Amino acid sequence: MITRFWAECAMALTTMIFGLGIVWGALDFGIGWDSSGPQPGAFPFYTGMLVALASLGTIVVTTARRFAGNDLLGEIFLDAERARRVASFILPVIGFVVLSATLGMYVATVLYLVFTMRFQGGYGWLPTLATGFGAALAFYFALEKFFQIGLLKGPLERFLGF
Amino acid sequence: MDNIANLMHGFSVALTTHHILLMMAGVLLGILVGVLPGLGAPNGVSLLLPLTFSMDPVSAIILLTSLYWGALFGGSTTSILFNIPGEPSSVATTFDGHPMAKQGKATEALSFAFLSAGIGAMAGVILITVLSGWVASFALRFSSPEFFAVYFITFASFIGLGGSSPFKAIVAMGVGFALASIGMDSVSGNIRLTYDFDVLLAGVSFLIAVIGLFGIGELMLTMEEGLRFNGISAKVRARDVLKTAAKLPRYWVALLRSSAIGIWMGITPGGPTAASFMSYAMAKRSSRRGANFGKGEPEGVIAPETADHAAGSAAMLPMLALGIPGSATAAVMMGGLMIWGLNPGPTLFTDRPDFVWGLIASMYLGNVVAVIVVLATVPLFASILRIPFSIVGPVIVVVCFIGAFTVASKEFDIWLALIFGFVGYFFKKLDYPIAPLILAMVIGDKAEDAFRQSMIFSQGSLSIFWSNPLVTTLMSLGLILLLMPLIGTIFRRLRALGKTRAA
Repeated sequence: MITRFWAECAMALTTMIFGLGIVWGALDFGIGWDSSGPQPGAFPFYTGMLVALASLGTIVVTTARRFAGNDLLGEIFLDAERARRVASFILPVIGFVVLSATLGMYVATVLYLVFTMRFQGGYGWLPTLATGFGAALAFYFALEKFFQIGLLKGPLERFLGF
Repeated sequence: MDNIANLMHGFSVALTTHHILLMMAGVLLGILVGVLPGLGAPNGVSLLLPLTFSMDPVSAIILLTSLYWGALFGGSTTSILFNIPGEPSSVATTFDGHPMAKQGKATEALSFAFLSAGIGAMAGVILITVLSGWVASFALRFSSPEFFAVYFITFASFIGLGGSSPFKAIVAMGVGFALASIGMDSVSGNIRLTYDFDVLLAGVSFLIAVIGLFGIGELMLTMEEGLRFNGISAKVRARDVLKTAAKLPRYWVALLRSSAIGIWMGITPGGPTAASFMSYAMAKRSSRRGANFGKGEPEGVIAPETADHAAGSAAMLPMLALGIPGSATAAVMMGGLMIWGLNPGPTLFTDRPDFVWGLIASMYLGNVVAVIVVLATVPLFASILRIPFSIVGPVIVVVCFIGAFTVASKEFDIWLALIFGFVGYFFKKLDYPIAPLILAMVIGDKAEDAFRQSMIFSQGSLSIFWSNPLVTTLMSLGLILLLMPLIGTIFRRLRALGKTRAA
C-alpha cells in the first residue's frame, strides 16, 4: 500500500518537475537584464527555482522525519475502500468531461446525471430522467436565454438546428 | 467627517430596489452555496462572476459580496444542524453549535450564530468605513518598491503564519505565480511559457483554478470520507430569535474580543478560517465557563462566528485600499474588479468613489438583509440537505464544469478544471495550503510588475527595497513574518537547552 511518506515524496517530486519545467520555459525569454529592465523570463525563472527548491525541502524534511520514526508518515495514504469511493466519483466525472467535449454539455449533463442516479444511486427511471432533463433544461433557459451565454454544443444540437 | 458624507452618498447608490433585490438574490444563492458541501464562497463567487461581466460594476459587486455573506451564514447552518461545516471557516462552529442542537437548542444556537455573525460583520464594515479612506490616501504615497513590499508581506505572512509546512506554502505560492505568468507578459508584450500550446496563449484563469481546486477537489475529498447527513430539524420562530437576542448582550466581552481577532486576521491575510479557530481557542481559555466548551456552550458558538464574519468583511479593506485581497474569496472578487476594468488599490477611491462607497454601504445593508433572509429560510435550506448526496453531488459537478466553461467559452478550460480538481484533492490531502496559490494567481502580474519597475528604478539593485524608511519598515515586517517559524523553533530550542542545563 502507498503510505503517506511515498505520497508526500511523489507530490514533492511532481511540484519539483513543474518548477523545473517553468525554469526551462523561462530560459527561452532571457533571464538577465536588458535595456528595458529585467527580461521577461527572469520572474518566472526565479519562481520556478523557488518551487523546485521548496519541493526539495519538503522531500528532505519528510525523509528526515521518516528516519526519525514519525508514525504519521507510515500511515496508509488511501485504503482500498476509500480509493473505491473516490474512483466511483471521479471516473464518471472524467466521462462527463469527455462527453462534454465530444457530444456537447447538454447531452453530457443528461447522460452523466442518468448514469450517477440510475446506476450508482439506484433510483427509478422516472425520477432519474426527470432530474437529468430538468437540469439540462434549467441550464439551457438560465444560460442561453437569460444570460445569453452559449455552452459547448455537439452533433445533437447541430442536428436539431441550434 | 468626509467618510460619513461619502458613506451617505454610498447609501444613495446602494439603496435602490434593484440593488436590494440583488442583495436578496445574492444572499439566497450564497446560503445555497454555503450549505452544499463542495461549493464554498470562493467557488460560488467564481461561478457567478462570468455572469456579471455584462452588469454594471456596482450591481455586480453587490451581488457577489451578498453571495459571500450568504455563504458564510450557510456554512454555519450546516455546522450546527448537521455537524458538517459547509465552509472551512465554520469548522469551529461545529464544536459547540452541534452539541447545542442535539440538546434541542437548535434555534438558540442558530440565532446566536447569525446574530453574532451579523455583529462581527458590522464591526468589520465599520472599520472599513473609518479606515479605508485613510489607508488609501496613505497608500497613494506608495510607489513600485512599496507595493512590492506589501505583496511580500502578504505572502510572507502566509508562509510564516499559515500553520502548514513553510515549504508547502512556498510551493503553493510559486505554482500560483508561475501559472499567472503564462500567456501575455504585460510589460514586454511577449507571449511566455506556452510551450507552443495554442490553448495556453490566453493564460490560465484563476477562476478555473478556484473551480477545480475548491469545487472538484473538495467533492473528491467529501466522497472519500463517505458523506452522511444526520440532521437535526429546526424551525426558527420570531419569538425565540428575540429571546436569544435579549441574551446576547451578556456576551459582550466575547463579541468584542472575537471582533478584534477577526478584524486583525481579515486585514492580515490570515483569513476567516484561522480567525474562527483562534477566537474559539481564546474564548475557551479566557471564559469562566471554559470547561463547558465543546458540550454546547453558547459562547463557543458566538466566538468563532463573530470572528469568522468580522474577518470576512475586514478582508475587503486591504483589497479595496491596497489591491491586496485578505482571503481567497476576496482574491476572486479582486480578480473580478480587474475584469470589470477597475483597478483595485488606492486610486480606486479617487477614480471611482461611487463604486467604493456604494460597495461599503451595501456591506451594511447586505449584512442586515442576510441576517433576516437567513433566519427566514433556514428550514428550507436545511431540507435541501435531506436530498440524497448521490443527486446533489453530480449536480454540483455539472454546475462546476458549466461554470468553468462560461468563464471564457473555451473547451480547454473544462479539462483544466478537471486537472485542478486532482491537484486540489492531493494538495488538501497532503496539507498544502490553497489560498496562497489563488492569491498568487490573482496578484501575480501586479507583483511582477512592481518588482520589475522597482528594478528599473534601481538599475537592478535590490537595495531599493531598503532605500527609504517606509519601504524599509514594510520589508522588515515581511522578513520578520517570513522567519517567524524559524524564530519560534530557535526560541523553543534555546528554552529546552536552558531547561536541560538547569536540570
